[in-house]
Amino acid sequence: MSRRPLGRKAPLLGLALTCSLAGSAVAEEPAAPGTSAQSPALTHPTAHEYAPAQWLQRMNDALTTRNYDGTFTHWHGGRLEMLRIIHRVQNGVVSERLVSLDGSGREFIRTGQSLVCYLPDRRTVLVEQHTAHEPLVGLHFPAVNDQTASFYDIREIGHTRVNRRDTHIIEVAPKDEYRYGYRLWIDGNTSMPIKSQLCDAHGTVIEQVVFASLALAAHIPDSAFKPDVSTEGFQWLRNDAPQAAGPPPANSLPWNAMRLPPGFRLTVRSAQTLPGSANPVDHMVFTDGFASVSVFIEVQGVRAGQPSVPQSATVGSSSAFSTVVDGHKITAVGEVPPATVQFIATQVQAQGPVSAGTPTR
Amino acid sequence: MNEELDSQLSAMFDDELAPGECELMARRLSRDEQLKARWGRYAVVGAVIRAERGVRLNAPLAGRVSAVLLAEPALTAQSVPSIPQRAGLRWWQPVAATALAAGVAAVCVMWLHAQAPGYGASLTAQLSAAPIRSDTPVIPASVALSAGQPDSYTVPRTPKTLPGVVPSTELANYVVAHSMFSPPVARRNLLSAFMTSEPAPGGAEEPQGNVKKTTGP
Repeated sequence: MSRRPLGRKAPLLGLALTCSLAGSAVAEEPAAPGTSAQSPALTHPTAHEYAPAQWLQRMNDALTTRNYDGTFTHWHGGRLEMLRIIHRVQNGVVSERLVSLDGSGREFIRTGQSLVCYLPDRRTVLVEQHTAHEPLVGLHFPAVNDQTASFYDIREIGHTRVNRRDTHIIEVAPKDEYRYGYRLWIDGNTSMPIKSQLCDAHGTVIEQVVFASLALAAHIPDSAFKPDVSTEGFQWLRNDAPQAAGPPPANSLPWNAMRLPPGFRLTVRSAQTLPGSANPVDHMVFTDGFASVSVFIEVQGVRAGQPSVPQSATVGSSSAFSTVVDGHKITAVGEVPPATVQFIATQVQAQGPVSAGTPTR
Repeated sequence: MNEELDSQLSAMFDDELAPGECELMARRLSRDEQLKARWGRYAVVGAVIRAERGVRLNAPLAGRVSAVLLAEPALTAQSVPSIPQRAGLRWWQPVAATALAAGVAAVCVMWLHAQAPGYGASLTAQLSAAPIRSDTPVIPASVALSAGQPDSYTVPRTPKTLPGVVPSTELANYVVAHSMFSPPVARRNLLSAFMTSEPAPGGAEEPQGNVKKTTGP
C-alpha cells in the first residue's frame, strides 16, 4: 500500500461529509437593484456553449462581483475543516469575511480598503489599511490568455451534478512542474465553483474545496461582516493607511529577478508597509496568467533575532521561501510548488536602473 | 537481519509498505546501523546509479531518495551560526558523496514528514522536475518580459519545507498581502489554508523592531 491512494481517498471522505449535510444546497435569491447579482451575463440559464477559458473568466467574475454566503470544506494534507465565506459588492465597495468554523477560529475580514486578520491562537490582530484610490482586489488578477495556454491545458472534461447543481468540469492541467493545476466544477447557471481541486503536475489532488451550502443573496447586511472573535487583551499590529502603498522609494535598490520559470512575468511592483513593521517592503508580483508569486524584499535586521538562513514554509498548498541577499531578506510566496518559489527568490538581485519596459503599478 | 525485516525494507523501497509500517521502519532505521547500511545500499546507491543512467524513478520513493540527497545542505546550513551575505548559496552547493550516512538518517525524518499527502506530492514534484530541463527552460526575467528565447536552467534543490506550520505573524503578513494578487480560487484556497493551519503553541507573538502596536482597535 502506498501513501498516494490514501491521499486520494481523503477528498472523497470530505465530499461524502459535505454531501451528507442537511443544508447542502445552492440557493439564489432574486437580484436587488444596485447589486452585482443582477448581472444577466452571470445568470444565463442555458450557458452551456462557453469555451473552457470562458468558463474560467465567468467563474472569476462571479467570485469577485456576486453576493454570496456559503460554507465549504477545505481539505489539505489529511485535514478537513469547515469554513464560511461571505462576499458582498455594494455600491462598488467589496466586503468579504472568511471564518474558520473549526480549530483556530481565525477570521479574515475585508471591508473596503481595510484588511483585518484575527488570530485568536496568537492573541493578535493584523490590520492593513490601504489608500482609498487603490483597489485591493480585482485589477491585478492574472488574466487567462493565449500565453497562459502555452503552459496549461485548459479543457472541459465532463458534466455532473454537485449539490443538486449542474456543473461543468473544467480542468486546468500544468504542462510542467513549476505550477499546480485545477479541476473546477462550475455551476452552469451561476458560474460559481461548487467544488475545486488543486492538483500537482501528475494530477494528484493535494487540496480540495467543496461547498456544502451556498446562497447567492441579493442583500447581505453589514452585521454579517462583524467578527465573532472577542479581542479583549489582544495586541493589534497595524500599518498606517496613507503611506501603505505606492511606488518604490526613489533611493531604493532596484531589485529584479534575473531569471524566471517559463511563462512568469513581472506584473506589479510596489512598496508597502506591512502590519507590525515600520519600514516599507518592496513587493513584486510575478504571474503566468494563472498562478502568481509575490516577492517581498526588506532590509535584514529590522526584525532582529530572526534566523538568516534560507527557510521554507508551506501554507496549505502554497509555498514560501526566504533567503538573504546583500543584507536584504528576500521572501517569495505563491500558490506554486516549493521549488518554484525557491527558484524565484534566489534569482532576485539588486541591479541597475529598472528598464523602461518593466511593468509597474 | 531476518528475512521478514529484509522483506519489509524491500517493500518500503518499492513504496509498497503500509504507511504505518513505514513509520515504524523509519524509526527503526534511525537507530539500527545495520538496517541503515542496508537501506543505503537499496535506496541511495541504487537511486544514484539509476539517475546516472538516465532512468526515471517512479513513485514517491524517487522524491524521498532525492530528498535525502537534497536535504543535506539544508541541515548543514542550519548548523552554521554565521552565514555569509549570499546565504542561499549553501543550498546550491554540490552534495558530497560522503554525506551518504547522514543522508540515510535524513530519510527517516523525511519519511515521517512525508505522511502528509501534500508534502509527499511536493517531494515527488521536485525530483520529476529534472527531466523538463531541456524543453521547458527557465527564462531570464528580462527576456521573459519581451517574450524572447529562454536560457538554460538548473533544477533548484528541494527546499526544506515545514508542512502544516502555523504562519508566523511575518508570514501571515506576506500571505495576506500576496492574496490580494492571486486569482480568486487560489486566493480563497490560500486564505482557507491560512485559517485552518495548526494552532500556534503559546500566546501572542512579540513583534520585533519599531512597530505600530496597540492593545485595542
